[in-house]
Amino acid sequence: MLLRLKGGRCYDPAHGVDGVVRDLFVRDGVIIEPPPPGTRIEREIDLSGRVVMAGAIDMHTHIGGGKLNIARAMLPEDHRADPVAATAITRPSAGRAAPGTLATGYRYAEMGYTACFEPAILPVNARQAHMEMGDTPIVDKGGYVMLGSDDFLLRLLAAGAEQQLINDYVAWILNATHCIGIKVVNPGGISAFKFNQRRMDLDEQHPRYGVTPRDILRVLSRAVHELGVPHPLHVHSSNLGLPGNVDTTLGTIQASEGLPIHLTHIQFHSYGTEGDRKFSSAAARIAEAINATPNATCDVGQVLFGQTVTASGDSMAQHRNSGLANPGKFVIMDIECDAGCGVLPFKYRDQNFVNALQWAIGLEIFLLVQDPWRVFLTTDHPNGAPFTSYPHLIRLLMDRSFRKDRLAAINPAAQALTTLGTLDREYTLYEIAILTRAAPARLLGIASLGHLGPGAAADITVYRDDADRERMFAAPEYVFKDGELVVEQGRIVKLTWGRYHAVRPDYDRGIERRLREYCERYLTIRADHLRITEEEMHAFGHGAAVVPHPCRARS
Amino acid sequence: MPGLRLTLQAVPPERVDLSPLTPDRIAGRSRAEVAALPLASGNRSLRVDAVFKLAGDPGPELVIEGDGSRLDRIGEAMTQGSIRLRGNAGAWLGVGMCGGTIEVEGSAGAYAGSGMQGGLLHVHQHAGDFLAAAAPGDHQGMRGGVLVVSGNAGARAGDRMRRGTLIIDGDVGDCCASRMVAGTIAVGGAVGRNAGLAMRRGTLLLRRPPAALLPTFNDCGVQVVPILRLLARAWRGLPGPFASLSAGDLRARRSMGDLANGGRGEILILLPD
Repeated sequence: MLLRLKGGRCYDPAHGVDGVVRDLFVRDGVIIEPPPPGTRIEREIDLSGRVVMAGAIDMHTHIGGGKLNIARAMLPEDHRADPVAATAITRPSAGRAAPGTLATGYRYAEMGYTACFEPAILPVNARQAHMEMGDTPIVDKGGYVMLGSDDFLLRLLAAGAEQQLINDYVAWILNATHCIGIKVVNPGGISAFKFNQRRMDLDEQHPRYGVTPRDILRVLSRAVHELGVPHPLHVHSSNLGLPGNVDTTLGTIQASEGLPIHLTHIQFHSYGTEGDRKFSSAAARIAEAINATPNATCDVGQVLFGQTVTASGDSMAQHRNSGLANPGKFVIMDIECDAGCGVLPFKYRDQNFVNALQWAIGLEIFLLVQDPWRVFLTTDHPNGAPFTSYPHLIRLLMDRSFRKDRLAAINPAAQALTTLGTLDREYTLYEIAILTRAAPARLLGIASLGHLGPGAAADITVYRDDADRERMFAAPEYVFKDGELVVEQGRIVKLTWGRYHAVRPDYDRGIERRLREYCERYLTIRADHLRITEEEMHAFGHGAAVVPHPCRARS
Repeated sequence: MPGLRLTLQAVPPERVDLSPLTPDRIAGRSRAEVAALPLASGNRSLRVDAVFKLAGDPGPELVIEGDGSRLDRIGEAMTQGSIRLRGNAGAWLGVGMCGGTIEVEGSAGAYAGSGMQGGLLHVHQHAGDFLAAAAPGDHQGMRGGVLVVSGNAGARAGDRMRRGTLIIDGDVGDCCASRMVAGTIAVGGAVGRNAGLAMRRGTLLLRRPPAALLPTFNDCGVQVVPILRLLARAWRGLPGPFASLSAGDLRARRSMGDLANGGRGEILILLPD
């Protein structure tokens, strides 16, 4: 079937298209070149006056895995307060901070998002995470698999293993878990926590293995680079949330030694120690470093006020913050001796000095990082705020007077310590399209997403232009997924299941014997069972395909 | 007739969420508008006039007639006005209620008065389990207001109660005042086993001695308890026999507990004057 989307104002930064009125043609779920005149067009939708972008991509959102299920179990009040009613084609679900899989998919699609990437999949939990993600309707899915505090890797490093062996391990893990990137969380710190360490700096030796977080970062970023995995090492740095952690973050950028590195939820890593309360914004230093380091990218992890839940693999940071849980309940746990997990509900308040400054720091980073291709729009859902607040965040970025009004309402001591009031930058629709579409697709190495050129998957979001950007981005008029109209006037009209995105780098099979012996001896699960088959993935994802994206090995 | 009267057409086949129908939420609407409001029932949505016959116009008083055993969340979070049920109520009666009055001529289901913060809730007959208790996942049960049950109540009455007054004239089930944080519970009839289990603070006032107290309650002997005079004065005018508690010096046997959880709660067993 040939579908023509007529006369919409297109924003397609991947092709430098900035608000040009043009027709889009879709056949078999793919955007195609305009067909020759006279070709029969089966369906035509008039989009004159509408804003057209590719489907949005959330490149860092916690939508699956054990910690989310803990959060769901821990927050029945979140589900009670926010039910999602069934319709003729959708099923009931619930939740805002820790939504059920169905609510997650429906609400992302209703906001015009068509792809979501879960950033913390532990190899041993990958099956569970993929089951949850597979049950998340409409959107495409992918995950970053978490290494860096696992005993196997730390043993290799402690024994001074060659880089090639580490590369084989990383590649084996990516293949076994069907993930698209490697994430490292508080490198070595989650493991050190279990040896009674409560803080770990970048150059501090692990009490058992003797390696430092810097070693782990260097080796893993090199592995990712040499394997040719498109997505750079996805780094949650050490010392999350601590005043003064800006130095650690700047050191982390250096630790990749010029190789690509992605710093995630960087807002939580941009704190100084100035002022009476020894807590201040270091956003300017961070932005300066990002601007000066072309191999570094970051997503912000913006804090927005209200109730949410923080769910992180960084059990060290979560343990430190456990006294701040609101309501007062939390879980800190070890997972299979390979990583950890901490879940605690949190309420960000605009009259709280620290929370208000966190809000301002995130916005400062958005406004001070000059290259929109290297800063990504996230709230680290649900850690900074639930993903449903993205339209509000977009308005804060696009509407200076709205932002200044909000700034005037926060804690006065925090206002005094932020330069936000002097930043007049307003994001344009073109830049928003970069942040939420073109740049994430490019950073993930997915050629078919994030743009409107021929060959792209026909994931298309159509907005009614509205000066109130929050209203505009909250309820797109149409959302197409693979050429099918899935959302019309903010309501789901068709249910699809999306697909998985993964990478399959090559490796030397010799690593398998070593892993088999290791798993047999130390883990609760055998190496052959860690590996998830494609048949399983199809079953988890309602028949969804796993799309492998090319890796270009370098050595 | 100062308000709207809803008469149940038939006992609904599934449970119906009645939370949209409180005097404050329907104030200022016409009867026709109220008739068209949606009510959640199972996985369907029903119009008010598909469930009830309507008479009168919305005002400060709302009357519901018929067997409402399947009508849940009546008076949820209401702040003012009054609701009168000429029949039974379902679960979650008056949950999170902040003000106004609810009177049920029949019995109420589970979780009546859960999270209640203010106002007066009176059940003429019996109440189910988890009366004034914390909803699953919540840290606090009843947080304020006055809840009177003229008949009996089920198990776990006053679980995690934080403030306010809970009066049960009849018998009460097992684990009354479990995990109680503060506030006052008075029971006129018999109490079940394990009263005050894991109680932290607060007062459980009994007219009749229980068959046994938990071993983690410490007997402090018979005392004149001055606070009872103030309570007696505060309870004048409430329905039921506790309203006529003697205003003179009252003696009670006082036990402190639960010693397994701080031990600052008290169970007072009233002695005859």
